[in-house]
Amino acid sequence: MGMASRIECVFFSEFHPTLGPKITYQVPEEYISRELFDTVQVYIITKPELQNKLITVTAMGKKLIGCPVCIEHKKYSRNALLFNLGLVCDAQSKTCALEPIVKKLSGYLTTLELETGFISNEECKQKLLPIMSTLLEELNATGACTLPIDESNTIHLKLIEQRKDPPIVQEYDVPVFAKGKDHFIKSQWDLTTQQAGLTDYNTFMHHVSKSSIQYYGVVTMVSIFQYSNVYCTTPIVQSLIDNKSIQEECLRYVTKQGQKQANLRDVFQLYCGLTPGTTVRDLCSRYSPQLQRVDERRLIQFGLMRGLIRRLQKYPVKVCRDEKSQPPRLYTGCHSYDEICCKTGMSYKELDERLENDPNIIVCWK
Amino acid sequence: GLSTFVTKLFLCGSGSGKTSMRSIIFANYIARDTRRLGATIDVEHSHVRFLGNLVLNLWDCGGQDTFMENYFTSQRDNIFRNVEVLIYVFDVESRELEKDMHYYQSCLEAILQNSPDAKVFCLVHKMDLVQEDQRDLIFNERQEDLRRLSRPLSCTCFRTSIWDETLYKAWSSIVYQLIPNVQQLETNLRNFAQIIEADEVLLFERATFLVISHYQCKEQRDAHRFEKISNIIKQFKLSCSKLAASFQSMEVRNSNFAAFIDVFTSNTYVMVIMSDPSIPSAATLINIRNARKHFEKLERVDGPKHSLHMRMR
Repeated sequence: MGMASRIECVFFSEFHPTLGPKITYQVPEEYISRELFDTVQVYIITKPELQNKLITVTAMGKKLIGCPVCIEHKKYSRNALLFNLGLVCDAQSKTCALEPIVKKLSGYLTTLELETGFISNEECKQKLLPIMSTLLEELNATGACTLPIDESNTIHLKLIEQRKDPPIVQEYDVPVFAKGKDHFIKSQWDLTTQQAGLTDYNTFMHHVSKSSIQYYGVVTMVSIFQYSNVYCTTPIVQSLIDNKSIQEECLRYVTKQGQKQANLRDVFQLYCGLTPGTTVRDLCSRYSPQLQRVDERRLIQFGLMRGLIRRLQKYPVKVCRDEKSQPPRLYTGCHSYDEICCKTGMSYKELDERLENDPNIIVCWK
Repeated sequence: GLSTFVTKLFLCGSGSGKTSMRSIIFANYIARDTRRLGATIDVEHSHVRFLGNLVLNLWDCGGQDTFMENYFTSQRDNIFRNVEVLIYVFDVESRELEKDMHYYQSCLEAILQNSPDAKVFCLVHKMDLVQEDQRDLIFNERQEDLRRLSRPLSCTCFRTSIWDETLYKAWSSIVYQLIPNVQQLETNLRNFAQIIEADEVLLFERATFLVISHYQCKEQRDAHRFEKISNIIKQFKLSCSKLAASFQSMEVRNSNFAAFIDVFTSNTYVMVIMSDPSIPSAATLINIRNARKHFEKLERVDGPKHSLHMRMR
């Protein structure tokens, strides 16, 4: 289910007109001690400045995540209804993924109260207890839960795994299905992805950059394949030796169609043959025996997707002011050949020729 | 420079009504406005400037059980230290008298330990909810009980309601205890009154209209006139401000008396009652004007002494 932490307790706290802040319900019972509540209650039922904000407070080895709600109306005793539905975790746990859940719940309860008086009505309020139990169980078990409130209202919640942000999609990047295309049933995709279709390249690339399909590892970006490309290995290439499942996946992927499966030794040698200064063309001529059963395109693709190898790009840098070099703004050392070709429409060969002849341009490989 | 005196007033009690009182006296609410107030969460702090160089540091405490219990346990040392004035509010309608008394006693214990010199005031509040003919009886009973319970500390009891002048009486008495040079103020007020032949002179704090000093040369019928006047003038002042007008002064005259209410010093208003109809208004107004400078200096505790020069008729 990912790295989200276990929820130890779900609590519902309110301001009572004579008793003050108290825990009306908690699942499991008695989880939050009197002492703990006294220590943190001023962050659970809060002063106006902290109301309607997500607040996480850590005390006595526990983390309490809540969102204190205030609904003002003269019908309530003391002119306002104050409550807070929150979660408790261990103080050491990562709770970022739970924050949107707490916020969403506070919004739902607020709406329910405004529309049907769900919380201020003592009878309805009792329904909170089974809802809280279900919430605790299902979120811990599967990371998602469905809470029926009444005939017309159901709350859906899902824990979103926190992942690293994917790199920005560039024009010169090529999308590749990270898992087999058939792996994903089209109907499981969200509406926008379905509608985007795979017909128009620009639309699709735009969609990839804007949607979450890259985030979820469905699609990954690689640079365009050319025989003149230069690659080098990364430390991750070691995993080809250590990790049996990567080995198997790799060999399946890189073997030429119709051939017997390539052997690990050859494939590993090929990857190791990729060094600065060696183009793919060079590799092919040097290692032709090993390439008998291996498709070099797929070899490179697999290596890039799994991080076994990385591309070395050429970055032109202009070293002195000279009006003759053009376009000057791209020659800062920050823009690769790929990018320049894409932006200017020149071919690799054209760009190469132009820059070779310019004494003011130095090309860096990185 | 001038030194500022900061006084901690601790407003406590297990019912509701404290924030309403404080809002009326110090924040220009009228009684009706207080119906919109929300519950006080934990402690609300406010600083009120009073009479120039006095600052009242008000601790308005939420009255619910959870808060009360916290005050006497985890927050005890912080809350009860350096308290000059304890104002304990009892809701006259309360159904849990025993619990209220228990909290009051816990409070007194904490005060004895942390601020033994604090002055204790008990307000029996929401008296408007008691039938008029019962009020004296009920209040006297409560007063008895509270005095007994408070020993060895002494407490001063008042009956209050936000709907009449009793609120002003209680709070005037409370702040009166805090004015540093109150004796000097009273002496000067007496001199002033005698020189101008006034029947009565009242001094009000400018923002709250609480009576801080008075002089009368003979007994008057209505012992509650001070707080009534506070109440009436304050309400009038607030009505004026709602019309974007500011209240400056007033003269009320009939065949028996003339009453003048005017801005006095930068922090006070004065009310002068003249029962001699032959003295023209102009004379009294000039006298009030001439007295201002003198009283202005008195307000600053470090100010030098001056003699009083008055114009006579």
